Amino acid sequence: MKRLILILNLILIGAMAIAACATPTTVVTSPVAPVVTEAPVVTEAPVVTEAPVVTEPPATTGEKVHVTIFVGLGTGTDPAQIDAENALAAKYNSTHDKIEVEFLIVPYDQSRERLDAMIAGGTAPQLLGPMGIETTAQFLNSLEDLTPYIQRDNYDTADFYGPAVSLNTYEGKNIGLPLGLYPSFIFFNKNAFDAAGVDYPTQDYNDKTWTITKLREVAMQVTLDVNANSATSPDFDPANITQYGFDNSWDSIRGWEVMWAPANMGRPTTSDYKTAIVNDPDWITGLQWYSDAIWKDHFMPDSAAISGLDPANGDPFAVNGLAMWMSNTWYMSESLNELPFKWDLAPTPFNLRGTRIAQVDADGFGMPKDAKNKDEAWEVLKWLLEPENNLELCRIYGCMPARKSTETAYKASLAEIYPSINLDVIFNAATYLDVPNHESWVPEFASINNDVLAFVQSQILTAGEDHDAKSVLDKANVEVQKILDEYWATH
Amino acid sequence: MLKHSRLSLRKRESLTGYLFISPWIAGFLIFTIGPMFASLYYSFTDYDIISPPVWNNFANYKKIFSGIFEALITHDSSKLGDPIFWQSLKVTLTYAIMALPLGLIVGFFLAVLLNQKIPFVNLWRTVYFLPSVIAGVAVALLWGRIFNPKVGLLNPVIEAVLHVKGPGWLADPHWAVPSLVIMGLWGVGGGMIIYLAGLQGVPTDFYDAAKVDGANLYQRFIHITLPMMTPVIFYNLVLGMIGTFQYFTEVYVITNGEGGPVRSTLFYNLYLYQNAFRYNHMGYAATMAWLLFILVLVLTLLVFRSSDVWVYYEGGLKGRE
Amino acid sequence: MAATNRNLPFRSLTLGYRAQERMIKVFAVLLLTIGAVAIIIPFLFMLSLGLKDAVQIRSDPLSLIPRTPITAEVNGENLPLYEVNLDGTSRQMALLKNAPGKKGVFIDPANPQQTYTLLLADQKALYRIEIHLENFKLALTAQPFGTYFINTMIVTFVGGFGMLLSCTFVAYGFSRFRARWLNVLFLLLLSTIMLPSQVRLIPIYVLFQKIGWINTLLPLIVPAFFANAYDVFMLRQFFMTIPFELDDQAKIDGANSIQTMFYVMLPQARPALIAVAIFHFLYAWNDFYEPLIFLHTQDHWTMAVGLQTFNALYAINTHLIMAASIVMIIPPIVLFFMAQKVFTQGVVFRGFKG
Repeated sequence: MKRLILILNLILIGAMAIAACATPTTVVTSPVAPVVTEAPVVTEAPVVTEAPVVTEPPATTGEKVHVTIFVGLGTGTDPAQIDAENALAAKYNSTHDKIEVEFLIVPYDQSRERLDAMIAGGTAPQLLGPMGIETTAQFLNSLEDLTPYIQRDNYDTADFYGPAVSLNTYEGKNIGLPLGLYPSFIFFNKNAFDAAGVDYPTQDYNDKTWTITKLREVAMQVTLDVNANSATSPDFDPANITQYGFDNSWDSIRGWEVMWAPANMGRPTTSDYKTAIVNDPDWITGLQWYSDAIWKDHFMPDSAAISGLDPANGDPFAVNGLAMWMSNTWYMSESLNELPFKWDLAPTPFNLRGTRIAQVDADGFGMPKDAKNKDEAWEVLKWLLEPENNLELCRIYGCMPARKSTETAYKASLAEIYPSINLDVIFNAATYLDVPNHESWVPEFASINNDVLAFVQSQILTAGEDHDAKSVLDKANVEVQKILDEYWATH
Repeated sequence: MLKHSRLSLRKRESLTGYLFISPWIAGFLIFTIGPMFASLYYSFTDYDIISPPVWNNFANYKKIFSGIFEALITHDSSKLGDPIFWQSLKVTLTYAIMALPLGLIVGFFLAVLLNQKIPFVNLWRTVYFLPSVIAGVAVALLWGRIFNPKVGLLNPVIEAVLHVKGPGWLADPHWAVPSLVIMGLWGVGGGMIIYLAGLQGVPTDFYDAAKVDGANLYQRFIHITLPMMTPVIFYNLVLGMIGTFQYFTEVYVITNGEGGPVRSTLFYNLYLYQNAFRYNHMGYAATMAWLLFILVLVLTLLVFRSSDVWVYYEGGLKGRE
Repeated sequence: MAATNRNLPFRSLTLGYRAQERMIKVFAVLLLTIGAVAIIIPFLFMLSLGLKDAVQIRSDPLSLIPRTPITAEVNGENLPLYEVNLDGTSRQMALLKNAPGKKGVFIDPANPQQTYTLLLADQKALYRIEIHLENFKLALTAQPFGTYFINTMIVTFVGGFGMLLSCTFVAYGFSRFRARWLNVLFLLLLSTIMLPSQVRLIPIYVLFQKIGWINTLLPLIVPAFFANAYDVFMLRQFFMTIPFELDDQAKIDGANSIQTMFYVMLPQARPALIAVAIFHFLYAWNDFYEPLIFLHTQDHWTMAVGLQTFNALYAINTHLIMAASIVMIIPPIVLFFMAQKVFTQGVVFRGFKG
């Protein structure tokens, strides 16, 4: 009896041991399947993972070097995009014999875990991207500085729009080359304006009458309640609004504040990253404008109304209940021709100082420090940023290529899709970028952005919370300062 | 056979017992203990996964527990070392207090109802079981839609029928956690299986004997069904407790990983996840994990202790002493 | 039995057992019906979402039945048609654009030059029912669900076998034997599920990678052979409801521990074992968190990973996600329905009296 139990257990353990000794089979890939690189030999104990010793695989002639491009931290995971990315990889592989490129596509929700697991296990991907500025900033300490590579190859960065290259440069360390820019501007719903009987906003970039004040006025005129009273009328019923005038809640507070051109733009700290300036007077003015927009002037929806406009967290504009929406070009990579109303583009308004800043998002690629085969990765990166490949990628992702030389081709391709929209608004918007960018790095990036600033935004947007900009920002400033102090105490 | 008589009966029994559970012990030693100790180690470090862990003594623990007295005295939460930690604990406890008793009671009575000999009982059971089969992500998306204050299922109906404006549900900090409780109740049929299995395990001759003695339905329920079901209730209580403290997937999907609005649904595990995979604070996340572990362990021990009082085992070992 | 004393004023209120049981049954059915309606309605909503397309979901969210506006082509544009009330007669006209005061500018498609500005609320928009079954088709074909199904079945059956075997052994050990450290070990068993899995994910991944199990189904199957806390706990509870007299009887008949386990405990705990099997199946079917990190290439994915990826790829397309989710619940429901037979049998008697 006891022997029987013992034997059974031994069999179980034995089976496990045998399975453990089985070598992993190389994976079979199908053209559309995301693929992983082969796991190199790791010699560390699992508990304390030091940086894995980089042992280059013996490069026998004829054996290709694998370059994995990890996609999933930003855009790039739509089915159409996946097809286009794989086609691009095929194009590269058919014309290069030393390096083999694969796009590893991971859904956004699991991308961080997967990437962390790969890095911890010693199989870091060679390239990361497309990544927004925010994501790139989060990886500041783990991305390779590209400056030596640029200098070594005399890589010409002149063709890029000036600020584009510096968007990912912090303290001289360039951690990501830009693929494309996503300038921001206003999408407006012509039907909504018709319903209110208001003229469409100007599309002339040099029209100085289009200021933040005018925006507010127009937005209030276009906000209608269930009885078709606009927000400017005394009979307006804020409890039953059917159409809102303006919304910008897709953006973070840092993006919001950019419109007012504070001294440090959308960066919540001074340039030495030591002092928090979240309650800078411009920040307070800007946030109060937004707060009033929701709770006093009623032309901007609060969080409950936004969830009604945007049930799938896709976008609030498509539901025909919003007259003006501030967003970026990535929105245009979706099929906007299906919108059930007519629409067009208008520029960001001038601020109270007479200048104009339109926040820009940018996507780029970076190289993890721990990856192997970095030289090959650099080669692939350069190829991706070549004008025609750059253009192709931007077509997929919806960005404006960061290379000036591709502007005409890009404009032509956009005009094909959207023949009746004024596309000049987009290209003009690129000249009013925000530097430092509203997504740029600060210490404890995610902590400050998510914990503190997102919370502030949540307070302003949610009914029943504190809506006074000064009080909210003063508290937030204390918190940010605390985080900064903790960070600098150990760095 | 003579060899065995060297060991006393008691020793033999105890050895047999260990042998029977040896598969689990083996698995524990191979798969579980390593990662568990790894995470315990991490809790004493700063670890961003990308660089190796850096030992920081008890800094993580200190951060969590500092400032408690000052905050209690001055009623100012910003004095806490990490006010968000305590917020997440509060949210989780609120949810647990609401969801756990409701889930237990409703689940149990549902199973009792579904254990009757009514027509189409298989169909009824399948209907109630249906929601628990749907993948958590889809459930979260669906209910996110149902709770939508403007275009959902609930508010338009409430406004049409009761002529009263419905609450903001998930968008309202006061209604957010109750909304999640409601969503959880939709899937209460999942635990029904276990109760059903337990009810099926009550021998019918007990009921027959009681009927002969003249007990009515209520008495049969109180004196037979309920006591015989206490092992199953105990099971659901312990696991329910462990589960509600680790509530994660649905909240993550519904709030896009934010825990909003204004952190009203920032569950403990969600904040842990944010620390681990967003803020590059895996060490701090490990600290949170182990603190939760201790909390749940203590609570479970209490429940186990109390089980001597209210749980009845027909085949319990106590009777054998 | 019912009181038959004619002198009792409330004789009719004292019910016999038969009538009492019937009343209970009626009451039960009533409650169950109400509950079932509450359960089904969200599911119908889910179905309705799954049958719409993206445009319908955005612009017509309140209608349960998927429908789309009937349009007419005027000057190269597709304009929605309304049934318009004009001077007492009703005609079909197209809405050109909105006008202030909640009015709309209508035109007759046959005579586009003439415009009428009328109140929108007085006109009736025309719809036709449009169901999009292709959502389901896309959900089924967008990924190689056939492969996923096979992988899931492997995990279910091989893992399920291992699970039942090991959990029975371990639960038997915890419930039927006295040993000094057994209680502590049992708490240790439970404690393994008290630690949130997020912090164990990276170390477990590295462990599996070191032994080369990443991108195989082994991390999902092999641990099943070493029991897990949930099922061991449940089976232990069930075993502890079985009186020892049965064990003793078996021992008198000469059975050793294993034979007792197989011939005495298992038959008595059959509903619990079926429950374990069902839960394992559901776990293999729905759990995606760790499989997503362990399984890299598509040919190793399980259904849950496939669905999760599908959801992520089509993130804002609620209709597609709902359609895919509906497709995914059909096999488990069918399985559950068929497993009902076990639950209705129950345990009639213990095999002896006294």
